Amino acid sequence: MDPSEVEFLAEKEVVKIIPNFSLDKIYLIGGDLGPFNPGLPVDVPVWLALNLKQRQKCRIVPPEWMDVEKLEEIRELERKEDTFTPVPSPYYMELTKLLLNHASDNIPKADEIRTLVKDIWDTRIAKLRLSADSFISQQEAHAKLDNLTLMEINTTRSFLLDTLNCMYKLRSNLQPGSSGGKSQDHQ
Amino acid sequence: MPCERKPMRYGHSEGHTDVCFDDTGKYIVTCGSDGDVRIWESLDDDDPKSINVGEKAYSLALKNGKLVTAASNNTVQIHTFPEGDPDGILTRFTTNATHITYNSSGSRVAAGSSDFMVKVVEMYDSSQQKTLRGHTAPILSVTFDPKDEFLASASCDGSVAVWKIEEQTQVTSWPLLQKSNDVINAKSLCRLAWQPKAAKLLAVPVETTVQLYQRDSWAQVGTLSDDLGTQAINVVAWSPCGKFLAAGSIGGLLTVWDVESKLCVERQTHEKGYTVCGLAWHPSGGQIAYTDTEGCLGVLDGLSSSSSSSSTTTSSTMTKAPASYDDLFDDDDDRPLDEGISEGARSPAKNPGDEDDDDDLIPATGRARNRSAFLDDENSLDTGSLKQGLDKFVDDVGSAIVLPAAVAAPLRPVYDGPMPTPPQKAFQPGSTPAHLMHRFMMWNSVGIVRGYNDDQDNAIDVEFHDTAVHHAMHLTNSLGHTVADLSQEAVLLACPGTDELASKLQCLHFSSWDTNKEWMVDLPKGEDVQALCLGQGWAAAATSALMLRLFSIGGMQRELFSLPGPVVCIAGHGEQLLVVYHRGTGFDGEQALGVQLLQFGQKRRQVIHGEPLPLSRKSHLSWLGFTAEGTPCFIDSEGVVRLLNRSLGNMWTPVCNTRDNCKGKSDHYWVVGVHENPQQLRCIPCKGSRYPPTLPRPAVAVLPFKLPLCQTTTEKGQMEEQYWRSVLLHNHYGFLSSSGYEIDEEGQSQAQKEQQELLMKMFALSCKLEREFRSVELAELMTQNVVTLAIRYASRSGRMALAQRLSDLALEKANQLQGEEPQEEEEEPLQYTRRNTGSGLGRSGSAGGQNRVTNVLDSMMSSSKKPTALLSSSGSTGKLNKTPFLKPLAPRPKTKVQHNSVYVRHKSGFQLWLEDNRRIILADNPDLEETDVIKEAIGRFRTLSADDRSVAVLDILIPVRQAPTTIPRSKPLKSFVLPIHSLNSTHTQSMSQLSLPLHLHHVSNSFHGGPSLCGFLFDPCT
Repeated sequence: MDPSEVEFLAEKEVVKIIPNFSLDKIYLIGGDLGPFNPGLPVDVPVWLALNLKQRQKCRIVPPEWMDVEKLEEIRELERKEDTFTPVPSPYYMELTKLLLNHASDNIPKADEIRTLVKDIWDTRIAKLRLSADSFISQQEAHAKLDNLTLMEINTTRSFLLDTLNCMYKLRSNLQPGSSGGKSQDHQ
Repeated sequence: MPCERKPMRYGHSEGHTDVCFDDTGKYIVTCGSDGDVRIWESLDDDDPKSINVGEKAYSLALKNGKLVTAASNNTVQIHTFPEGDPDGILTRFTTNATHITYNSSGSRVAAGSSDFMVKVVEMYDSSQQKTLRGHTAPILSVTFDPKDEFLASASCDGSVAVWKIEEQTQVTSWPLLQKSNDVINAKSLCRLAWQPKAAKLLAVPVETTVQLYQRDSWAQVGTLSDDLGTQAINVVAWSPCGKFLAAGSIGGLLTVWDVESKLCVERQTHEKGYTVCGLAWHPSGGQIAYTDTEGCLGVLDGLSSSSSSSSTTTSSTMTKAPASYDDLFDDDDDRPLDEGISEGARSPAKNPGDEDDDDDLIPATGRARNRSAFLDDENSLDTGSLKQGLDKFVDDVGSAIVLPAAVAAPLRPVYDGPMPTPPQKAFQPGSTPAHLMHRFMMWNSVGIVRGYNDDQDNAIDVEFHDTAVHHAMHLTNSLGHTVADLSQEAVLLACPGTDELASKLQCLHFSSWDTNKEWMVDLPKGEDVQALCLGQGWAAAATSALMLRLFSIGGMQRELFSLPGPVVCIAGHGEQLLVVYHRGTGFDGEQALGVQLLQFGQKRRQVIHGEPLPLSRKSHLSWLGFTAEGTPCFIDSEGVVRLLNRSLGNMWTPVCNTRDNCKGKSDHYWVVGVHENPQQLRCIPCKGSRYPPTLPRPAVAVLPFKLPLCQTTTEKGQMEEQYWRSVLLHNHYGFLSSSGYEIDEEGQSQAQKEQQELLMKMFALSCKLEREFRSVELAELMTQNVVTLAIRYASRSGRMALAQRLSDLALEKANQLQGEEPQEEEEEPLQYTRRNTGSGLGRSGSAGGQNRVTNVLDSMMSSSKKPTALLSSSGSTGKLNKTPFLKPLAPRPKTKVQHNSVYVRHKSGFQLWLEDNRRIILADNPDLEETDVIKEAIGRFRTLSADDRSVAVLDILIPVRQAPTTIPRSKPLKSFVLPIHSLNSTHTQSMSQLSLPLHLHHVSNSFHGGPSLCGFLFDPCT
């Protein structure tokens, strides 16, 4: 899966906008949207919100979790716990990126939020690397990781799988030659 | 000693303030939580000099041209006075200083800080500092002994201590105060004051009294109290002569005592009851300046110490109270302290200091809380105990002193009847208070007008919700506009007049098609615009001369008329103007407001003639306007939304309480718009305040309406609430159509359908509960066609008595309808009232009325084939043909009937029955799924007796069978009645019971060309 594909999925998330135009309900395959009343918040998918924003047809109301205090809390928790903590949105990274890139003027303290989300992301990726490392070094067959988001899985998937393949090949080449090779590792 | 209380004026933003005079008494100097020191030449000085000393200023002192301030950067700074140039830093603390004071000569400054320390610093060499350690909590206040020997300090640890400055030791300490952990949580600021000149007495505010301690002996020698003082005293200040002592309390009471006689010589209350936190005597002694925690400055003028006749020789024995009385007073001290705690639990903690970081936020409850506490006499628990304490004191010391007889008696006659409420000021609905630097001047359904008034900029931003109306505008506010309104056509602004300039009304008529999009009008001298509004094609301004001036939107002056009282606010919509004014003086927190509703346009008239506006108890008006559909609406400070009920003689009906939706006690909703269709109350949730700040941009939330009906938890209550809400909120259709506007007919028919369905549900419910009388009452509200449905329901469920009554009712309705018809055309303007009274005469002559019932009676519609053809061919009277009932029906039934007749042949009896009864089943069990409906139907069908079944089916079949043939009306229909007779007798009985009234009903129905149910009911007898 490509990151852009994950982003595409994230664009289906619902976000509140305040339109500055008036439009009746629109009927789309994915469901009905609207009616749009100027000045009144309405829920729309992110892709539409961004489109409208780019045409200066609306203001985006940032999701509730996109708030410095809440993110700081999450960051602290993330740093404190060894395991992955639940994230505010399954697409937190993608949404942050999308909204901050296109509608940073509607989001108070956009820069701080960007930093905080990046911090959370870095912490989680570090954890992910760490667990991958212990997974490999302990030669486990399977591992269970909770609360991972799609994007996070994606960033590590191709590399991890390739690596495991590669190591498998190396190991299987090694084993027939000398069965003591493995015992040497332990010594 | 009569004195004059001058009106308060805005000095600083809300929060703790302090005040002092300069040495000459020429200037009043204040500081506030906005970090500014302002130098006022007088109270009327419109352009005080401002010196910024930091983010917040906690305290200031001024002597010898040096201004010392305690700022939030933990320093004590010096500025030159009056130039205001920085002159270095005197000292620093680890947190902010809370109070600073000069000694009498101005050579030293003492500062108390939140880090528990008191520092005494030499003015001319700030390196010479003396630190007084010993308090275990933040320092509340400090004061110098005029002879420079001692220093007294009060602290949050509850103690008041006296220090010997040179030795830096504590001389004595009294546990007088309630403990707290910080200055902002302290009950009182406890500003101590040492008697000037004589230096004999130290005044300590303790609870509601001021205790006097004698120098050297450190014994309590007197207590000053006031019967009216029910709240803790915050600050005290000695007159320069040392004979009088002024005190300011939490509740805004200002008291001046003659210290020797212990008589209260002056008593004034703060005009709004805010906490007094700064108090200073003019060096001449004739004036007191005071500031409150809302940042306002006030002055008491005309105090003259010489006029006091009670001043006696200074050799009062009182000041020589022997030290041996110490023990007695210690006992005395403990008791009030305990009481103080219990009272402290009740009266909310005051935040004299930096209550609020955000300038735009108003402490929501502070004002109301203060006022109520002040007005509430029953709350004054301490008066008795104080008197007691005083009596005790008199007993103890009385032998030594001859006290005037009237010690405890108040000087003036006390009026303890209902207190008049200060009338609420004129305001613009949808605006935040004018003293804010960044404020909303208007937020309505069209857009937002924001006003900025800070150092860099004085500007107005206009923004439209719908950018299609107009692009956003930015105006420089050179005229100082304070009120604004916004409509689809124009922006209307007005500024109050000044000495030189008259009050102006400015209109930006952006929708004008010529190039000149702006006009301005000067009001006559001395007349100020107080409220304004825009309607469609007109603008109105209410002025201080009790006048309402109308303008056309292009700037032509139109009518003007006098208002019956000072205006509170006005609102416009379309051709309607709503004016609210003061009818008189309210008492005990109530406002006495009157309301007028005027209508312009072709029919100019006054709809509401100055009737009282029904506010909640002890509340004021907080929003006034129209719903988007044009129904007048207002909201009071208790959050109750009331809507004008035009069908109930223009009464006001409460439709929502916004406070019910609040989470916290101090949360409010700030309403920006009301919509009836869809039912929405658009408002901004404000956490801990009444108004939203301009930044971050607040988001609009939507609240539902809810009529405060009883027992809305029960099914019955819910349905009743829904029904009446629907009736109330669809009144506007009638109003709009009567005043010639286009209406959304689909919406109207939808609403009517919803109401009738609710009625049917309620009918079914009360049938189930064996409440037949109530069922009939409900049926009275139904339209004629729904009554037929109700009759069926009743007869199916075996309630023949009920069915009989209902059919009488239906007959009556039909007659009324017939009798009414000729009148209807004449009565056009009043039509809406009748239709919506719910009296059941709902089927008025409009085409919409016909449409709406079709959905309710689909089954009947489908079975009545070509009723129009039937009637027209029968050549009924010309009058009936004229009625609009005939027109709109043609296409729909036709298709339906075809569809129906195809199926009829293949349908089983049950299917037919189901088709007919589905609605009733649904009405009974509105939440059933399709399959469940069928199951339920099967169950019911089975319970019917065989006969009933055939009747039920016949009931439906016959008309269908009959339908294809068009029968001349003259021809008797016996042939169709015959099959019924051929059925067995029990069944015919029940039929006849039923069908007799039905005959008449349906005949009348078909006369009107409406969907007639059954041809077979055309009996020869009619």
